[in-house]
Amino acid sequence: MKGSADQSVSLSLPADISWVPLVQSVIENGAPVFGLPRNKAMMLALSAEEIVVHLAGIARGTRIDFRLEPGGWHVLCKFSFKADPSDLWAMNLVTKTDVLEEIDNLGLLVAVRAVDGFTLGLEGETLHLTLRKDRDYPVVKPGPIEPVDTRGDLTIVRDPEPELIKAACIKALGIYTRDVVPRSFVTPGMVVDMVEQMDLEIAIAVDEIGVLAGMICWQASSEQGIGFSGPYVFVKDDRAGEILTDHLINTVARTRAMGLFSDSATSSLVTEGFESLGHLNMIQTDGRTVKQEVWYRHLKEDVGASVWAHRAYAEFLRTAYDRQVLMRDLKIVEGQIEGKGERLPERSVFSVELRADAGKATLSPMVTGLDAAQCISRHVETLLRENFFNIFIPIDLAHGWQAAMGQAIMDNGFVPRMVLPHGGKSDVLVFQHG
Amino acid sequence: MFWCFSMDNIDFTCLVPSYIQTFEPYYPSKPDSELIRLYGVDHLHRLNNNENALGPPPEVKQVLKTFAPAVVPVYPNGDCFDLRQSLAERFGKNTDQFLVGNGSCEVISSVIKAFCEKGDNIITADKTFAVYEWVAEFSGVEARLVPLKNDGFDPQAMLDAMDGRTKVLFVCNPNNPTGTYWDRDTMTSFLNGVNSRAIVVLDEAYCEYVENEDFPDGMALMDQYPNVVVFRTFSKMYALASLRIGYLCAGDEIVDLIRRTHTVYSVNTLAQKAAAAALVNDGPFIEATRQMVKQAKTLLCNTFDCLGLTYISHEGNYIMVKVPISDTLMYRKLMKKGIMVRTMTGFRFPNWIRISLVQMPVMEAFCNAFTDILRGSDNHGR
Repeated sequence: MKGSADQSVSLSLPADISWVPLVQSVIENGAPVFGLPRNKAMMLALSAEEIVVHLAGIARGTRIDFRLEPGGWHVLCKFSFKADPSDLWAMNLVTKTDVLEEIDNLGLLVAVRAVDGFTLGLEGETLHLTLRKDRDYPVVKPGPIEPVDTRGDLTIVRDPEPELIKAACIKALGIYTRDVVPRSFVTPGMVVDMVEQMDLEIAIAVDEIGVLAGMICWQASSEQGIGFSGPYVFVKDDRAGEILTDHLINTVARTRAMGLFSDSATSSLVTEGFESLGHLNMIQTDGRTVKQEVWYRHLKEDVGASVWAHRAYAEFLRTAYDRQVLMRDLKIVEGQIEGKGERLPERSVFSVELRADAGKATLSPMVTGLDAAQCISRHVETLLRENFFNIFIPIDLAHGWQAAMGQAIMDNGFVPRMVLPHGGKSDVLVFQHG
Repeated sequence: MFWCFSMDNIDFTCLVPSYIQTFEPYYPSKPDSELIRLYGVDHLHRLNNNENALGPPPEVKQVLKTFAPAVVPVYPNGDCFDLRQSLAERFGKNTDQFLVGNGSCEVISSVIKAFCEKGDNIITADKTFAVYEWVAEFSGVEARLVPLKNDGFDPQAMLDAMDGRTKVLFVCNPNNPTGTYWDRDTMTSFLNGVNSRAIVVLDEAYCEYVENEDFPDGMALMDQYPNVVVFRTFSKMYALASLRIGYLCAGDEIVDLIRRTHTVYSVNTLAQKAAAAALVNDGPFIEATRQMVKQAKTLLCNTFDCLGLTYISHEGNYIMVKVPISDTLMYRKLMKKGIMVRTMTGFRFPNWIRISLVQMPVMEAFCNAFTDILRGSDNHGR
């Protein structure tokens, strides 16, 4: 679990293809030590090879810090290196070696295909790229399960044992539709390890004689926000959903979090304590569109704030803030990206988070350049081609430069969907493609 | 050219203990003027902090009027000598049994620092005044939180939670925010159960609001139970909240121990003089305040009954009600109408709000605004 002794393996090397075999060797030999099967270790090594080759191509000789890290239920390959923001453009998931060149440099995209998770983020001048490969777990496919009766009071189990967690995952899968159940539930062993690793928190309720009554789970989604799924209720007792939700709120009420969010709340959620932020239209792999309602709950008294906004979506914000009774001073950024004599880098950079199973891609602006609109366009084109039909761009309204990208985002077929209060450093405006 | 030192890459968290790194800082609300501007209202009724809206007693007003500017450059008396004399006379104690602090929050900190070290624990309730828990946690001391039972502290569960490292038990009597209290029998039974194995703090911040005969007086109990420490404040009944002054009282030996960790010179001169003046003839003032609270309580209980809402109303100048929307949304909606209440999520009562009980015109304004919101004549946030 987190906080235990550091087991990771580190390398510091120049970005040069000569070092590819060393990186591969560390992964091929190290990842199995962390519990990854050999075939998965090989795939992770292949992805890492693409990354090193890519870095060697765009920034030969740059110092790379590489870490192979156990995560309980997964193994991580972390690359970090310092770079000037104007040189980061090549770290876009899709980019071209030259703006006028028609041949895509798809090294990163190739790397992404072989792993279970890919994130790219910027912290100061340091770029962090992480590949995640999950361990193997038995998959369960429970049939339909009917809610049962309970006896006596319902209570929350302190430190539930692994078998109880697994049983709860199976019950949730048997009672609820897949769109409101985390994908990890099909591998209950993974959920146990995620809880052990504190990557996921859960609460399980039982009745007087120990019958499983329900479960709710949550995890930090940003510095100020907590995302939750559920509550999953396995009994006929209506109180279970309320008890679980109250337990969640009481657990996080005195933490740093400002709010609770859920785009996978069940019908067992007592919604009177929550506010609906609206719907996301999620295109499923079978082509159906499912409307996902997003629920929100402030955990603290909102004291008002100032946020940046662009005229293109200022009215949307005013309407949303009025509906949510949130007091915000809008500071309007003038012009578009190509604004008023400001010296912007030529090229933009977006970080990306992909969930292949949900066909979901989230692009986050890291550097605004003069090519913002074209950069977004290229990403969208490639992502759609790769079957990522649910494309989102969240912008943090704490930052004027992100707010200023609104026009470029909307020009590429995105529409503002909802405002997540305190979803980032400040409120986050979420755009969805299509 | 100036010399520049870049601070960008210095990580100060490595200097901080782990229990501070994980501790959530508390950010108080913005000043009224800023809230009034943000919410676009022309007034703000403060019903969030259980202040006494009658204002301070007449004797205090006189002190405020005659406070001489010449006193301002001079340090206050470092340990509130005159005030401790007044308190000693009032309660039939000696002056060394009192320590005065910058609000009772300061004396909470003094007690925990005096008795607890790493590995020790304190015990209190999960749904009570949060500062006991906070001070323990940012001092690296475990806070064991015992669930309330029937909205009140659970004496047996608190005793059961004790172990060899339990140093202090905090009992908020009456409890903020539920207003429940332990009667004399419950209290003495609990103190017998503790059997002087740990310090028992009786936080009596709202004791002046309780009129019932069976309410135990901590000042008397400490004569029989030497491990009892009583907290009281001038912020609630005596309406001196902006001056920040509270105190503790205990046996000489206990106070001598706490004094070692207590900050001197933390209470300003005006606060000391105002507090002493507040005690001079407080009978009529306390009675007037109690009448105001009674009237307000009756109005609010009737309103909540009419709306079919669950509420908790016991002692103290506050009442809690469960609302059918999130408490934080109710807060924002009421703020749009110039009324500020306390959300109870932070007290672990999600979807409850706490309302201070004040004069009738303001209570009526609250009831009207609250009813409008619940009946849907308010169009925001739905």
